[in-house]
Amino acid sequence: MAPLKSLEQYPRIINSHFLAFCASHGILTVEDFLLHDIYELAALAEQQPDPEGLKEGIEELLSMVDGELHQPWMNGMDLLADSLQNKHVLSTGCEGIDLLLGGGLREGQLTELVGPSSSGKTQVCLQAASNVAEKHMGRVVYLDTSNSFSPQRIADFVDLATHNFLQNVMKNILCHSVFDIFTMFDILHQLELDLRSQNGPRRVRLLIVDSISSLITPILGGSGLQGHSLMVSAGCLLKKLAHQHNLVVLVTNHTVGGEGGAPKPALGEYWKSIPHVRLMLSRDRGNNTCSISILKHSSMVYLGSSGEAIPILSKETQNIMTRVTVVVMSLMMIFMIGTSIDYVPAPAPNPLYHSSDDY
Amino acid sequence: MEAKRWIDVDESAAEMLARVSTERPFLLLPPLHRLPLRVGNVVELVGPSPSSKTLILIQAAISCILPKEWNGAHYGGLERPVMFIDLDCRFDISCLSKMLKQRMMEATGSIVERNQEQDNVDTQSCHKIRKSHIAYDVELYALCMRRFLYVRCYDSFEFLATLKTLYHQLNEVKEEQRSSVYLLMIDSIGAFHWIERALTLSLSRNTNRKSFSLQSISETVVQEMKKLLLVHPMLVIATKTTNLGERYSANEVQRNFFFPDTPDYRNVASTTHKLPYREYMPSVWQSFITHRILVRASADDNLTTRHHQNCPVYISEWLLPQLNVLDKFIVKDGFIFIVL
Repeated sequence: MAPLKSLEQYPRIINSHFLAFCASHGILTVEDFLLHDIYELAALAEQQPDPEGLKEGIEELLSMVDGELHQPWMNGMDLLADSLQNKHVLSTGCEGIDLLLGGGLREGQLTELVGPSSSGKTQVCLQAASNVAEKHMGRVVYLDTSNSFSPQRIADFVDLATHNFLQNVMKNILCHSVFDIFTMFDILHQLELDLRSQNGPRRVRLLIVDSISSLITPILGGSGLQGHSLMVSAGCLLKKLAHQHNLVVLVTNHTVGGEGGAPKPALGEYWKSIPHVRLMLSRDRGNNTCSISILKHSSMVYLGSSGEAIPILSKETQNIMTRVTVVVMSLMMIFMIGTSIDYVPAPAPNPLYHSSDDY
Repeated sequence: MEAKRWIDVDESAAEMLARVSTERPFLLLPPLHRLPLRVGNVVELVGPSPSSKTLILIQAAISCILPKEWNGAHYGGLERPVMFIDLDCRFDISCLSKMLKQRMMEATGSIVERNQEQDNVDTQSCHKIRKSHIAYDVELYALCMRRFLYVRCYDSFEFLATLKTLYHQLNEVKEEQRSSVYLLMIDSIGAFHWIERALTLSLSRNTNRKSFSLQSISETVVQEMKKLLLVHPMLVIATKTTNLGERYSANEVQRNFFFPDTPDYRNVASTTHKLPYREYMPSVWQSFITHRILVRASADDNLTTRHHQNCPVYISEWLLPQLNVLDKFIVKDGFIFIVL
């Protein structure tokens, strides 16, 4: 709440007389001013000594509101230019996911990965982080809520050229452990301040919150409204960061039981309309493949769940994908939500249980 | 003399109709086509997420920004600027751009086809020529895109600030584009609802400060919009995301045995004045709107496979005024088609 007194640096118009007038009508901060009817205020100013000065003050305040307090109006051509120049597509490092998303994760959008536990969400996040740090040479901010960030795994994903190179890649990934939503807000606000001053090739390009549901679920429910309010605020803040600073924001969510036993994303109905893209991961234990499908995409419309499985083989075996038959993957961006393809993530070498005939 | 002037005719009825229909034309577009919408109407487009609400807004915007005719092609638009206030912050400009190009190509493609038919060319080469000549008019495209004005608001105060300064913005647009804004779209009026509900500011009773609450913010929003509509009459379309509950579940897994999508089987709640969903906007907003339409995805799989090349079918239903008719539509290639 910015107090109006702080505007006294413009003494010509916003002087103590104007401030006293405002205070007498209960306007002490800029937000109070926004809630009041300006014409009513101007009419009340008529009854005061120096009505012209007061009206000028109101006008001046209104023009400051116009300049500072809301985003600028843009027309379609400007928006398109911004979208083409600034909002690039970052590859996730996994060809199958890139194909599903039409190239990869898009800057300026909030992408959500939903899946039951051990369906590969953290693996996708780690792979995306290592890919952005290595190939796109951008910084990654990784907010880890369950201590699942693994530097060894990042090292596995990176193409090892030299030891120094690996260190540079690792330096690009900044990992924070967060265990409650308020810490997350702190870190995001700090990030917002830092981003305003950053430029150049080593800017932050990817923000991962793994997993946002473990931060929000404890505060939802109960009789308080604070939980939902914080959830919506977090969503707005993430989208703001994504759009204004051209970041890819990737969050993960778990699933809960839905109607008929089919898993549905957690965080409820009110979170549904917050992310731009929602992807559902599921793991098939039988043949150790994961499949990914789109639940919702803000610029694609549902086409139907037809599609064949494509085995996408691991980097180690250096195989290329077979033919894609999913209709949605046509080159014109046709509209879809909800198609599925299969992908196999790179195998996870677990030093304790590794066996050579796993795959 | 003065008295006589009162009785003298200003204009005839025909002249008045002609004047009003050019200055304040009707907007008729599916799926809102059952009622002609005009300036001064405040339409609320209600539906769960995802239904095609934003797509309908984009279609409405395209119908407004296209001209009626240009270089011989008939586009059938209103040639007026539109404003889009994005509270959801999920708008994708490439979606609008693509749909606009598709509409434009459809209009120009049809003339080329007509010309070819007149020359009696055989159908095969006609088809080939049509494909190679379909290009959209780049200059017109740029002109139309400039008629689309967009702003994002990341919280309620930014929204209030935008509304308070909208008057000046509208005047600027009027000067620049030589015509006034026809359509104001608000994507997701309930976007900050939860944040506003949880706002509590305890103030001492001695001050006369307005408290920040859902009620005061909503009242201010409605008040600002009413004042704006008095001086700049516009058509307002606002979307609202709502939770329909189990009966109208958009989840494709659930089979809706009791409520197939025909009017005869609709539940009692829709036929009475009770709404089929839980209304959460405050009453000051509810009394501001003049029209309400509910859209949702059809849960009926038969429709999807039977008709349409795998396009999802949506259902729209007018709640205010209540028409006992359900319309089904699909969105394809930049157009909304009504399915019979």
